[in-house]
Amino acid sequence: MRFMIHNTSMQPIYEQLMDQIKTGIVEGTLRENDALPSVRALAKELRISALTVKKAYDALEAEGFVVTVHGKGSYIAGTDRGLVQEARRREVEELLESAIQKGKACGMTEEELREMWELMLE
Amino acid sequence: MLLEVKNVRKQYRRFDLDCSLQVQEGRIVGLIGKNGAGKSTTFKAILNLVIPDSGEIRIFGTDSRELDSELRQRIGVVLADSTFSNIMTVKQIADVMGRLYAKFDAEDFFRKCDRFQIPLRQKTKEFSTGMLARLKLLIATSYQADLLILDEPAAGLDVLAREEIMDLLREYMMEEHRSILISSHISSDLEKLCDEIYMIDQGRIILHEETDRILSDYGILKLDEAQFSGIEKQYLLRKQKEAYGVRCLTDARQFYLENYPGVLMEKGNIDDVISMMIQGERL
Repeated sequence: MRFMIHNTSMQPIYEQLMDQIKTGIVEGTLRENDALPSVRALAKELRISALTVKKAYDALEAEGFVVTVHGKGSYIAGTDRGLVQEARRREVEELLESAIQKGKACGMTEEELREMWELMLE
Repeated sequence: MLLEVKNVRKQYRRFDLDCSLQVQEGRIVGLIGKNGAGKSTTFKAILNLVIPDSGEIRIFGTDSRELDSELRQRIGVVLADSTFSNIMTVKQIADVMGRLYAKFDAEDFFRKCDRFQIPLRQKTKEFSTGMLARLKLLIATSYQADLLILDEPAAGLDVLAREEIMDLLREYMMEEHRSILISSHISSDLEKLCDEIYMIDQGRIILHEETDRILSDYGILKLDEAQFSGIEKQYLLRKQKEAYGVRCLTDARQFYLENYPGVLMEKGNIDDVISMMIQGERL
């Protein structure tokens, strides 16, 4: 698995890493029990702080995508891809919800919001 | 804790240092500041080359004044203005190192010299700045030290040569339990290398933060006067007047991006953060 970091992006680097690992799981390039690079090795390769890599691995572990065996390393957990898809769906839902709230807060009607939505989908 | 500097003070006629910092096991810690901010004095105090007026320095848990030779062998050092006698060749330096350090690995050292194009039989006075810098770092990393203390190890080098130095350090860190304290006035080098950053100015630590937090949570807001007066200020650390209005430093970029989607926000980097911390006004 190859990782790519966008250094000027507003998205925090650990989130970029998390997204790429999740994408790997969804696409099947990362499978259960696959070993992730060690924290220092990935930090070295990407020229980022080891704490950033650790933060990404820890967050993935908290979400159930990665298992870290102390002293051995981090591995892809046995999650089914449906779960990852589901998590992504929830993220999209949250984003849409916050967009709707923001629209309502600045006085847009539901009709206007729907129109905007349709327009953007086109 | 591999290194602990606690309230170390040193008073000179025109400069006074009051510094505390810590280096945990497995971390690369950067000390950044302008020339004359107190970086070298701090390093010299750690190495007992400057005697502090007060405060405490502990290395591997031992008072730095009481380090025995065994503990000293676990420290690798590069200082800006120190080197071996320039009439020695690298071969001769290696001989000395072998006598001084029990864990000096001559074979590995020569292999690295070869890789970094350091000639073994040439006097070091004929070396270029880049070669000398690489040699100093190769020496400091040649005996399996647990703690590297590096004062401006890449000073005076061009960007490619600096990258090489940084890569060498990243390699060194592949062994767990090692730590590095490194100073530089070139922030972009440290940004890509360090886990934590201490910023020092006029002898005082003005900010200590994980590099990751600086890059992902800090930001510069550019606001006109009206935007500035309407914005919530609890996460603004510093402000500075500009022709267009006010420039602000925040450590909660996401908060402003979400709540004020219209405002101009730039990702924070260490240079912006340090200049705002020094020159900006508190809110």
